[in-house]
Amino acid sequence: MSSVAGLAAGPAVGRETVGAVPAAGSAAIPFPSRAWFEALAARVREQRVRWEHLGYVDCVAGFTVLDGPGGAPFRVQVSFDEFDVVDVREAREDEGARADFVLEADLATWRAMIESIAAGHGRPALEQTLNRLSHMGKPIAVRSDDPLRRDLYFRYNQSLQEFVNASAGFRTAFPD
Amino acid sequence: MSQPLRTAEIAPLPPERPLSEEGLAHYEASFRQHYTEWAAVLQRNAERLARGQYSLHWLDTEGANWGRRAKPSSRGLTYDDVNRVRAYGEPPETATWLNFAPRGAVRDRYADEMPVVPAYDVLDRNELWAENVTTLYEEAKARQWNATRDIPWSELEALPDDLEKATCQLATFLTEVEFVAGDFPAKWLYRIPQDFLEVKSFLATQLMDEARHQEVFRKRAIAGGGLLHAAPGFEWALKAILEAPTHTMGTFLLNLLGEGLVLSIFRSGEMIAKTHVDKEIFRRCLQDEARHVSYGTMELKYYLDHVRDRQAALDDMHRFADVGEQVILSSFTEAALVEPIAVLLGGGLAKIDQGMEGMAHLWRMSIEEYLQRCDRAGFSRRERCTIPIDAPWAAA
Repeated sequence: MSSVAGLAAGPAVGRETVGAVPAAGSAAIPFPSRAWFEALAARVREQRVRWEHLGYVDCVAGFTVLDGPGGAPFRVQVSFDEFDVVDVREAREDEGARADFVLEADLATWRAMIESIAAGHGRPALEQTLNRLSHMGKPIAVRSDDPLRRDLYFRYNQSLQEFVNASAGFRTAFPD
Repeated sequence: MSQPLRTAEIAPLPPERPLSEEGLAHYEASFRQHYTEWAAVLQRNAERLARGQYSLHWLDTEGANWGRRAKPSSRGLTYDDVNRVRAYGEPPETATWLNFAPRGAVRDRYADEMPVVPAYDVLDRNELWAENVTTLYEEAKARQWNATRDIPWSELEALPDDLEKATCQLATFLTEVEFVAGDFPAKWLYRIPQDFLEVKSFLATQLMDEARHQEVFRKRAIAGGGLLHAAPGFEWALKAILEAPTHTMGTFLLNLLGEGLVLSIFRSGEMIAKTHVDKEIFRRCLQDEARHVSYGTMELKYYLDHVRDRQAALDDMHRFADVGEQVILSSFTEAALVEPIAVLLGGGLAKIDQGMEGMAHLWRMSIEEYLQRCDRAGFSRRERCTIPIDAPWAAA
């Protein structure tokens, strides 16, 4: 596996980041995996003050890597409640409706975003934000059966961006 | 203590004035008309105080809901938490208290002495309520942000001239249009009786949101070069919203259609932003806008689900939407909006044609989202929508 890492402390509050310095020599966390999203959840708890500043997040967000391990889709659902992530679980295809919305893309797209976040020390390049990648329907597709539940993706967009930005706080390993 | 104050001893009100002072004269006349009512309250209280007596009637819990205590949930004490306490939680189907007496307070015994606020004339819950309004209110408070402090203004760098002008023109458009979503709820807010306090509270957050949006885009334009062009197409759309004949119709036009389209513009703005400052501005704003869209969708749904004659209500809403969609369209075809977005989307003035191709895709997507929200509200516009599914230039 190859890996990327955030290199320096994240910028001050008010920027689109909650990045932190990955511990030297710390093991890289594979992507995609439930552990990778749980690592993001752990960063949310560490950054409680920042999340309180951003405000409530109440939704179940799905993340799908279309070409996950073994070439099969990898699906994870992250449950946000108030200022915390209360559940991270892998999901089967038929459990998709549990999520308010699902962000779906191939591994290359997710990898480019994560690497950009790491290179920016917690702030992705302009063309690598969640909204930038999803607004036209590709390379990230936003799936939801209900426009009101889909709109939660917009209502919490800053928080969701900072959620993935937290990946700068640890090293990520990708399949070769 | 001094002698009790008698009605006859109260200083006489000023004499009537000429019509040039109509407002003040009307005010004086109004209170003169009700003189015996409020003066009787004043006299009774003044006499008791003069006798050195306390009333302590407020300790009497007869007719009160005393002792039924609200319990906080994990996130504090929300409106939903207090509304779970019986007698406090249910807004009336039709408001009959046209004053400030709080819902759930001991108020019946005072009804005869209380004034009527004639401005309170939106009396039906159907015209206001949305099942998500308390959730949206709490969320709005929790997700407020500060356009002065939360945007990394010091990082703003000058862009190439065409991109800077396009960004500033987009910011000018948004400065021009955003506060209609403050003026519209403000226009209705004071007409809504206090028994619908949750709706009034949510509308107050929308006012604050829109003040912030107007502020942040004005600041962005002036920090980047300056405000550019206003446009008549925007103004007609704003007028159509502001002058909507009912709260539900205006909320549909403002929040479901207008704010839905502006939400698309904010998302596009984030996508095509050329600086991290602009990214942050648009991302923050789109969150607020999505709350307003959510209220607009669910308010229309509540109205249609509860109105006495649903078919007649649908007919009226369609009639209204036939006009509203067209007038809103006058804004979303303005060169002062479409062209700067196309320039930013294409990457420069020389690439405006490419940008227009991208705009055509965004147009179709935005209209489809509008139709989905209408469907969600139980108001299908798919067969009747007067806005073309394809952008006018896409077919050219």
